[in-house]
Order: sequence, then structure tokens, then C-alpha cells
Amino acid sequence: MSAVLGAERPQVVSHVQQALSYTVFDCKWVPRSARLLCLGSAARGTGVLQLYELHGARLELLREIEKPKPIKCGTFGATSLQQRYLATGDFDGNLNIWNLEAPEIPVYSVKGHKEIINSIDGVGGLGIGEGAPEIVTGSRDGTVKVWDPRQNDTPVASMEPVQGESKRDCWTVAFGNAYNQEERVVCAGYDNGDIKLFDLKTMSLQWETNIKNGVCSVEFDRKDINMNKLVATSLEGKFHVFDMRTQHPTKGFASVSEKAQKSTIWQVRHLPQNRDIFMTSGGSGSLHLWKYEYPAQRSKKDSEGSEMGVAGSLSLLQNVTLSTQPISSLDWSPDKKGLCVCGSFDQTVRVLIVTKLNKI
Amino acid sequence: MPVWLREHSWRQTLTAVYLSLPLRGARATPANIFCGEQYLKVSIPPFLFEAILYAPIDDTNSTAKIGNGNIFFTLYKKEPALWDSLTLANADKEKLQYLRENAVLKAQEKAKEETEAKKITKQEHKKYALEATMKLEEAERKRIEALKEKERQKVAKELELWKNQQKDSDKYKSIQKKEELHQEIEPLEERKNEKMNKTRIPNEGSSKTRLKSTRGCHGSCSIFSQNLKEEQLPAPRVAATIKVNFTPRVFPTALRESRVAEEEEWLHKQAEARRIINSDLSELEDLKEEEKNPDWLKDKGNKMFAMGDYLGAVNAYNLAVRLNNKLPLLYLNRAACHLKLRNLHKAIEDSSKALELLTPPVPDNENARVKAHVRRGTAFCQLELYTEGLQDYEAALKIDPRNKILEKDAEKIRHLIQGTMQSS
Repeated sequence: MSAVLGAERPQVVSHVQQALSYTVFDCKWVPRSARLLCLGSAARGTGVLQLYELHGARLELLREIEKPKPIKCGTFGATSLQQRYLATGDFDGNLNIWNLEAPEIPVYSVKGHKEIINSIDGVGGLGIGEGAPEIVTGSRDGTVKVWDPRQNDTPVASMEPVQGESKRDCWTVAFGNAYNQEERVVCAGYDNGDIKLFDLKTMSLQWETNIKNGVCSVEFDRKDINMNKLVATSLEGKFHVFDMRTQHPTKGFASVSEKAQKSTIWQVRHLPQNRDIFMTSGGSGSLHLWKYEYPAQRSKKDSEGSEMGVAGSLSLLQNVTLSTQPISSLDWSPDKKGLCVCGSFDQTVRVLIVTKLNKI
Repeated sequence: MPVWLREHSWRQTLTAVYLSLPLRGARATPANIFCGEQYLKVSIPPFLFEAILYAPIDDTNSTAKIGNGNIFFTLYKKEPALWDSLTLANADKEKLQYLRENAVLKAQEKAKEETEAKKITKQEHKKYALEATMKLEEAERKRIEALKEKERQKVAKELELWKNQQKDSDKYKSIQKKEELHQEIEPLEERKNEKMNKTRIPNEGSSKTRLKSTRGCHGSCSIFSQNLKEEQLPAPRVAATIKVNFTPRVFPTALRESRVAEEEEWLHKQAEARRIINSDLSELEDLKEEEKNPDWLKDKGNKMFAMGDYLGAVNAYNLAVRLNNKLPLLYLNRAACHLKLRNLHKAIEDSSKALELLTPPVPDNENARVKAHVRRGTAFCQLELYTEGLQDYEAALKIDPRNKILEKDAEKIRHLIQGTMQSS
């Protein structure tokens, strides 16, 4: 662990706090703007979408959209910068893509899963990554499905349990390795601790492992490069960082793990402007900012001569407790370095600014 | 009787009296000296010196110096006057007594007052200290708040700046786009006119597409480039399914759901039980190698039970138990044999022993526990101890509520009990 001088440490400043009248499950920045979106579930069991704009020290509500089913997750990852359509997954297993200018009818809609869609991710849009825009959803029914907005009703890829196998909830999904038009990889985390990596080019399972505790969140450090690092967070305060550059035939990927918070780590998000810095949010309402340091040599040969990855080390840059309830969602702004929004179960959404990230 | 010290010498000034008292070898400490307003006493057992002073003195300021086998008193008079003598001459016993007591009382009161005063000052000091620390802490907190506020304001200003930049650049972009659109429309019209003039139809198509492609590089907002981009995207993937298996665990529950400690204990016990205990019974030397293996013996017993040779099965299980008495299955199977042989008490014993060995109760040994309860229940019923039998059946049902046969048997027993109760 390297020591960062006290005065030079990044500070997490709470810029704006907004109390909401519903439970917020996900919050996202609208790309190329100072607007943010909050998705959640109102007390009467309907879904709520709220669009806010950051004005000085307060958030101004621009639009409020109500939908019949509560919304669990959303992403802008698969749309172009002009369209900025939002893809959402709701409690009923429906995947919808909305045009926020005309939100009455979805642009694309499919009942993708039998149970709640726990997690959604998009790739190929926003000028990031190459290849077709695709959306992946992971659901409590144990399946992970990849959708192409140009193809209605059927997924382009589906990862489901073998016939007769008891299913395990899929809690999180992430895209990665989308550095050219053919390559793409989906990583899924399940509630029994399984992490599975699916290669969409060969349509096969590339790697799997089990981290013993349910996996709450997985994220690659960048979706659009040759896969570099994967962070997986789990229950009981542990998270693992895998070095994805070198895959050993039997041992898989090298990893380093850290037990930071005494409670579940709900989310991990990498800083879009620096892929070695990421923030984890915990069940005790705290946020931890981490930096990953690469080892001197990223791979070495083992006794049989096959390449094995070497995991680096982690250092805690800053931690702050904002709330007494879990912080369930976190998003960095892709446009302003250090600006992030987090939503927690005390029905508040907070805009935070992390300072001094340039000096890291 | 104390020894009175009478050899004292004294002299006086207008305001003070100086008394010198030699001690005959005795050692004095401040505790031995007692001084009141008008009464002075030095008591060093067995020596005693007592004096009722001529006039009152200021006993708080007066001093006594002990040294050189001598006590030297400096007594300050309350009223500056010359005394005729050190002590009151005509002092009778009663007056003496009264004065003594008075002095003692006064001294006590003074002591009390002093402690009170001390307490009060102590409290005040404490309060003061507390207030001072509180002030310090407040100052510290304010300082930190001020720092935070400064950061916040700085950061908010930067944010505003960035937002304005965004707005400006957006405006700039939109203006640019408009210009480009204009530019595009003009040459297009020109081209149209050209088309009217020229009749080269095949080239038209190619020139138009060339135009389109060049424009596609410029403005990203025009409709033409949109279509082009869509063509550049690969077609949607061919649909495929990947089948997955989930990690098996000895106990099919996630870490957070399992009762790990109990299950570990059970596994441990199983492992231990499988380790063959070496018993040095001399008869064992006659046996073949395989006959010393409890598992082999258990299998042998099972086969004999299946064929109906219950006594043989019991023998096999007995030998196995002698080799390793920690395997619950041996007792369980022997109980079944005893049931068939109608050795009901032995069946009950063996089922009980099996149940004992099947602790802690975990999902893994559910089947075994159900069997043990059922066998014991059957034995009880055959002994006509129906209530105990019912208890065992109900325990078995608790473990495995979906077993219909168990339910039916339990019902039967209940009817029997009710029948016997009615008839008795």
C-alpha cells in the first residue's frame, strides 16, 4: 500500500443532495450534459423516471415519467450520442428502450425474462467501442441475455442453466473486450459467488470461478479495450480485482482481493478518465476510492512454462460515509472528471465531486 | 499520667509572641501540635504541654518551627497589646475544660470549612477547564468546516465554468451544423441543375454516392451519414445459446444461507468414522483382510438382509460395530434386522444409538434420520407403546413432511391410540 500525503489526498465533497419521494435503484448521467436520471420504484408499485439538471448548488427537476412497473436498472451504453436513448430493465423482466423526448411509447420493448432484471449493461454506443450496439441483461431467473435493438423479440445470445440444473440468481452483468467489431465478452456474477466470462465471438464459456460470496457487482475497467482488469464485489465486504490480460489454462486469472467494509459492497465504478481508479459503495452508506497499482511484471511463467498473470496491489485513497443506508447505485460523469452521482436507499440522490484526481 | 513540659521560654512584641519549647529528646511532628484561638497544646506521648493563652491569637497565620530538639512558636496576636504573662493565671479546671473543648470544636469547624472551600474551588476549576476545551474544539471544528466550504465553493465554480463551456460548445456545434447543412444543400442544388443539363445517368449514381461519402465525414448530424453509419455496423449476431452449470457445493446453499459450522462438524464426524479403529482383539487375527473392513462387512450384512438371512446380517453388523463403533449406518441397519427378528428392545436401542450418532442434524443425513425414527417408531408400536411410537413418527414427518406413507402410518397410530383410550 503506498501512502498518499494527507493534504494531497482526493477529497469527496458532497455538492448537492436531493430528497426523493420514491426508492431510487439506479442513477445515471445523461452523456454530454449536466443532466442526470434517477430510476426507481414509487410506493404505489409503479416505476418512476426523473430527469434532473444540475444548476449551481441544486438539482432542478426537468421531467418526471411514470411507468407501470418499477424500474431496477438502466443504461445509455448502447445508443448513439445524438439519440441518447435509455435502456431500462424493470421488475417484471421487461427490457425497454426509451426516447426521453417522447417517453410514452418505448422505441424497443421485449419481455426478456420471467423475473426481475437485476442488472443491465450496454456497449457499442456513445462513441465508445466498436461493433454493433448491444444490451445485456441479467435476471433473477438465472439467465443472461444479449439483445440487439435491431432484432425484435429474440436475444442474440442467451446464457441459461443446463436443463434440470437448479438456477441461481444473476445479480450483475458487464460487457468488456469490445476493442474491435468481432470481439466481445460478457461477464456475469451470480448470488452463489459464481463469476462467468462468456466469449460472444466463439459463443462459449471462456472462464469461470467462484468467490464464495454472492457477487453484487462486476465491471471491467474499460469496455472498449483488450480486457485489462475486472473488479467483482461481493457480500461481506470483500472485492476482487482480476488481471485479465493473462489467462492461465487451469488457474484462470490472477487476482488480488481486499476486505474493506464490514457490509455488502453494492457497486463498483471505474473513473472514465482514469481506468486505475475506482469507487466502491457499501451497505453502510460509505464510499471508498481505490487505486490499483500494477506489479513490476504483469505475467510470469509457472513451473510448466505456461504464462500466469501477476496481480498488483490496491491502495485506499479516500473513504467517506454519506448515509446510514446502503448506497446502491453510483455513476461517474463521463464529461467532467470527478463528478459523480450516487443514490441510496434513504431515498436521497447525491451529487459528489471528488477533488485532486489530477494529482494521482 | 503525662509528663508535663514546663520549661518553656517566651518573649513578646506588640504584635507577636515567640515561644520556645524544648523537647526532652522527644521527636515532634506537625501532627503533635494542636493550636486553637486561645489554646495551644503539644502532645508527644508521654510528654504533654498545654497553655491557655492570655489573649486570642491568629492561629491561621501563626507558625511552629520544629528543629534542634526544640519547637519554636511564632504566634501573632489578634489585638496588639502586651501580655502580662503567656498563660491565664487564674484558670480553674472547668474553664480549662471549656476552653479546651471549644478550641477543639473550633478547629474542627475550621477544617470542615476549609474542605468545603477546597471543593468549591475544585469544581470551578473543572468547569473552567471544560469550557476551555469546548472552546478549543469548537474552533477546530469551525476551521475544518471553513476548509470544506472553501473546497466546495471552488469546486462549484469549476463546475459552473465547465457547464458554460459545454453550453457554448453546444451552441457552436449547432451553428456549425447549420452552416454545413447550408453548404450541403447548395452544391446539391447545383448538381441537380447539372443533372438536368447532362444526360449521363450511370455516372449520376456514382457521383451522388461520392458526394454522400464525403459529406458523411463532415457533419455527423445529416440524414445521409446516418444511413451510411448503419451500413457500417455489423449485422446482428446469429442467435445462440450458451448452457451454464453452477458451481456444485457439498451443501447446495450459498455461503450466506448455509449453517457452515454444523455442516463442517458433520463432515468431520463422517471422516473420523471412516477411519478404521485398530482393535487388538485376538480373534481378529483369524479373519481375512477384507473381513476387517467395516464397510465390506456392512455390505455383506446388507446382502444377507436382502436375502432374508437376518441372523447372519446381525452377525456381520456386530463384527463391523466391534471394529468401528462410530458408523451410524451400521446401527441403523442392525435395527432393521432386529425388527424383522422381533427383537424389539434391541431394535429400539440400535435406532437410538444411530440417532445419537447422526447429530448435528443437517440436510445431508436427513434420510438416515427419517429411517431411524421410523424403525424406532415401528418397534414401539409393536411393543404397544403407541404414544412413543407416534412421537417418533411425528419426528420423522417433521424431517420429511412430504412422505405419504409416513402420514398414513401416523394416522393409523393415532386412531389406535384413540381406540384404546375410548375402550379403557
